[in-house]
Amino acid sequence: MSNASYRFRESERTLMQRLFEAPAVGKMSPVAKIVAYSLLAVWSVFVLFPIYWVIITSFKDAAAVNQGPFYIPFVDFHPTLDAWRTQFTEDSFCTVGAIGRQLWLLVYNSFVFVVSPVVSLDPMEPQICKIYLAFTNSVVISIFSTAVCVIVGSMAAYALARIQYAPRFGNIMMFVLLLVGVIFATTYAGIPWWASSSVALAFFFFLVRALRGYFKMHLRNGDILFWIISQRILPPIVVVIPLYVMFQAVGLLDTHLALILLYAVANMPIVVWLMYDFFSNLPIELEESAQLDGATRPYIFWDIVLPLTRPGLAATTLLILVLSWNEYLFAVFLATVKVQTMPIMVAAKNAGEKGVFWWEMCAVIVVMIIPVIVMAILLTRFISKGVLLGAVKG
Amino acid sequence: MPTDTTISQPGAIPAGVSRRERLAEWVDRNSGTFFIAPAVTLILIFAIFPTIYSIFFALSRVRFTSDGLQFRFVGLRNFSKQFFGSSEVHFLGRTDPVSLFGYACFAAVVIAVLYWWIRSFRTSTWVGMLGRTISAAMAIFLSWILCASLLSGNSIGTLYTTLFYVIIGCGIQFVIGTGLAFLCSQPISGKNFFRVIFFIPLMITPLGVGYAMRMVADVTKGPFEPLLQAIGLSDWVWSADAWSARFMMMVSDSWQWIPFIFICMLAALENIPRDHVEAAQVDGASSVQIFREITWPQVLPVAVSVLLIRMIEAFKIVDLPNIMTGGGPGSATESMTLHSMYIWRANDFGQSAAIAYLLLLLTVVTCASFFNYVVMGQIRKARA
Amino acid sequence: MAEYGHKASVRFENVEKSFGDVKVLRDFDLEVEPGEFVVLLGASGSGKTTALRILSGLEQPSAGSVHIDERNVTEILPKYRDISMVFQSYALYPHKTVAENIGFPLRVRGMEKAEIDAATLDSARQVQLESLLERYPRELSGGQRQRVALARAIIRRPSVFLMDEPLSNLDAKLRGHMRAQLKHMQKSLGTTTIYVTHDQIEAMTLAHRVAILERGILQQLATPAEIYNDPANLFVAQFIGSPPMNVIHGKLDGQDFVTNGVRVQTTASGQIEDGVMGVRPEDCSLATPSEGTLTCKIYTNELIGDHALVTVEWGDDQISVKAPKDFTGEQGDEVGVHIPRNHIFVFDRADGRRVR
Ligand SMILES: Nc1ncnc2c1ncn2[C@@H]1O[C@H](COP(=O)(O)OP(=O)(O)OP(=O)(O)O)[C@@H](O)[C@H]1O
Ligand SMILES: [Mg+2]
Repeated sequence: MSNASYRFRESERTLMQRLFEAPAVGKMSPVAKIVAYSLLAVWSVFVLFPIYWVIITSFKDAAAVNQGPFYIPFVDFHPTLDAWRTQFTEDSFCTVGAIGRQLWLLVYNSFVFVVSPVVSLDPMEPQICKIYLAFTNSVVISIFSTAVCVIVGSMAAYALARIQYAPRFGNIMMFVLLLVGVIFATTYAGIPWWASSSVALAFFFFLVRALRGYFKMHLRNGDILFWIISQRILPPIVVVIPLYVMFQAVGLLDTHLALILLYAVANMPIVVWLMYDFFSNLPIELEESAQLDGATRPYIFWDIVLPLTRPGLAATTLLILVLSWNEYLFAVFLATVKVQTMPIMVAAKNAGEKGVFWWEMCAVIVVMIIPVIVMAILLTRFISKGVLLGAVKG
Repeated sequence: MPTDTTISQPGAIPAGVSRRERLAEWVDRNSGTFFIAPAVTLILIFAIFPTIYSIFFALSRVRFTSDGLQFRFVGLRNFSKQFFGSSEVHFLGRTDPVSLFGYACFAAVVIAVLYWWIRSFRTSTWVGMLGRTISAAMAIFLSWILCASLLSGNSIGTLYTTLFYVIIGCGIQFVIGTGLAFLCSQPISGKNFFRVIFFIPLMITPLGVGYAMRMVADVTKGPFEPLLQAIGLSDWVWSADAWSARFMMMVSDSWQWIPFIFICMLAALENIPRDHVEAAQVDGASSVQIFREITWPQVLPVAVSVLLIRMIEAFKIVDLPNIMTGGGPGSATESMTLHSMYIWRANDFGQSAAIAYLLLLLTVVTCASFFNYVVMGQIRKARA
Repeated sequence: MAEYGHKASVRFENVEKSFGDVKVLRDFDLEVEPGEFVVLLGASGSGKTTALRILSGLEQPSAGSVHIDERNVTEILPKYRDISMVFQSYALYPHKTVAENIGFPLRVRGMEKAEIDAATLDSARQVQLESLLERYPRELSGGQRQRVALARAIIRRPSVFLMDEPLSNLDAKLRGHMRAQLKHMQKSLGTTTIYVTHDQIEAMTLAHRVAILERGILQQLATPAEIYNDPANLFVAQFIGSPPMNVIHGKLDGQDFVTNGVRVQTTASGQIEDGVMGVRPEDCSLATPSEGTLTCKIYTNELIGDHALVTVEWGDDQISVKAPKDFTGEQGDEVGVHIPRNHIFVFDRADGRRVR
């Protein structure tokens, strides 16, 4: 076995060749290697240093923060757990039991709210310290909004991938015109919103019946898909002011439900966009075969389609979970007291009278980013498998 | 519908023999509606309705009274205030003494845009022409503001601060993110480690990023304080100067968003069929040639889509300036969302909605133009 | 569920189907007797799959109606038609085991678990799969996957089987084996079967009757022997047979077909200016130059195995002849081609119509 004659012998290469030429296909030259690794190292430091700084700051006390920069725990400052302790043992309600009680409270109070037209029960009063409350709120809101978003969004994505729709253009225009009418009536004429909207709704169905067949032009699935995805362009600030007023009108301001639904809608375009791609890449014969065998659409969706898109579904869910965990703008407008989420909690630490307690804030930030880093590691798995790439290809 | 459902045939089973089955069949036949209705309803209620409602805010003077909100119709006054009235400097920047250089630049841009616009008459349909007219009008307006403010040596307003974050920020993030992705797609060891590390900032709440950056960049207690002292900048405060504050904002934004570009581009690079690159390597192409001739054309469609997504999100920037500088110094780092938010805090709902609407307009026209002229062009090329 | 082993009849009535401007099926009429095995044969894109999908309810016809057992099912959902279908790609659910795949049609109908298990085992046994029940489809070979698809189709005892090129993904040897198994199974179950293929050997060996489709138009529906011996038009004549039927251009003058000045006697009669004479290679034979019906030059001589295929030139046409394997003519030699009178088919070239 001698194929050495086909290669440059190492000793025959000049110094420059040895430095700058890759020794084999699929390898890098020494110089390129050095450059690449040092760039990667520099960037790693750039990425990790702020995180490191936040973490060590959370173990500093006031003196260690205020008396100039200290870099390495145990070497140039003495780490303490003070910041953590004051946060997590603030008062007697800072226990795991309080979180459990708070979760039960949410269930119970929703029940009380649902039965309130029939029986009037007293809702439970919260007994929990601030950070635990924020944590519970964040967990509950992000999990539920992710669930709503992924379920509703993937149902829509599946339907758009597989069922042909043809809503008439005229009906949509009619709907929008009536909507403008309703808003006009409530805004400037002072008619209650429920009255004007029910009249408009009745009018809408009447018109749809009466004018059936007049407007021939209709939208196709691609248009609907584009419409849903393009909702992501909408800056949240545009909708948040009217939403504030709307929620106030129906008593949903500062409730979990409001944030859950809002986050779900804000992230819906992403779910529809990603899941549409997964669904339309499934072989359609599987579904047709199941259809012939007697399965209904919902059954097919649940039993065949969803299991087959599991990796995509998992990746999408993780992404949405992170997005709702981090959301700030809606929360700052719409969650004033009861449903403060973690981001609001962090921002509130900024507003102390005696200056910012950086160490305490850092402890809260660390609590916020730990779950997220775990999810990031999981997500990179999926992305490196190319799971999420298809959608971007256009 | 079958006409003879009552006659029981041995072959095909008649539909809906029992009540349960009839219900199941009805659900099945209408499943299309059931599948899409929740999503459409939610979007209508929480996105479309508020968007339309927002117009009414923007056209009114809104006041809190004892029995709720009071709307008084004021026409376009909330908007005109941003362009000609009291808020002009805040929104557009100072546009008063226009320098000769500013006029010259503006003339050049106008000529270029008009040339593009007139040339497209030949190829475009009337719908396409309408779109191009809107894009051209927006481009001319924006370039006028740019020439009159920044290029004439005046200060810029929140409009251009936002555009600065979007255009310069996205551009830098795109270049660095793609570069890192390219590095990571090379045969290096520890790829997965770097992939995870580089991805993490994207997942961290923008708020946390803001505070972390504020601490790291702190000139008196931050980690770089000894360094600043050593190079004689101990008195320098980045947050006191408009451009250095904007620059810091951009660095923080990049810290967060480069991972997004990185991860998408890396996936795209790794999905290029291996044999294309290998064939070129066997043919003796250098790595620069391989990148230019093979890799880049294949990832370009993904690249422009990723850039579009990044742009859409960049227009919404609010947390970072809010946390790091509170919009200051003055209103130098205020994005349009933050601008609107501050006015909302001052209880001027009408003006706040008007600015939000202007942001919507800006976002939609810019993104739609980018989508139509760049992304669609790439996709069409890739398909052809 | 239908009674065990019910045999249904199937009827297409003036079915039309168009996708946008493209007419895929035109005036499609087809009647299938209870228990019959009908093969739809046609070139790629001729509308075979579309016909099957219309029958199964996955596609709505643009016009016309479909009947199963004299019952109009055009508007009825697929699941009420009591049909099962084997797809070309088998459509096995990758996340379910073989047993779950086979039992799926019963499970969606909400049958008891014990019943499903028994039925699964029973139908797996029919296709010799009982040892593989716990595997996943990706752990099976192509032939085994195909059998899983079959087992899933028969477990419900439907009144009609539809199969869309079920054997086209298999290698030649396995295809022969599966063909035999399919034929055996259809015979023993006796279920009405409609089978789509573009392989004429499959069509000839399996079918009771063959329906030939071209550009959405049914060309002929007849037994394999009839199709072969008595093609209805030029398309069918050329489509069936391998190597394909020879065509010689000329005109029909009374009973004689005139080509390049030579008159050949036929059984047809008529007066056609632009005609085609067709004769199968296996019906021709070689003779000395002076004895044959036509005298031609040899173009090539290929030894196939049990025979030699000799191609000769006749004017602008080429004629293939199956010759004995010891035929030794060389390229350029003159030979006579003998064409027996009663094996000649004459067609009108304008519309491909057979002239009798
Ligand atoms: N959903 C569709 N939309 C548009 N055209 C279609 C659609 N389905 C089929 N066609 C067209 O209809 C024609 C017939 O298709 P069909 O699938 O029935 O052919 P086939 O005979 O089964 O061919 P093959 O042997 O290749 O499977 C083709 O020209 C095809 O392009
Ligand atoms: Mg087909």
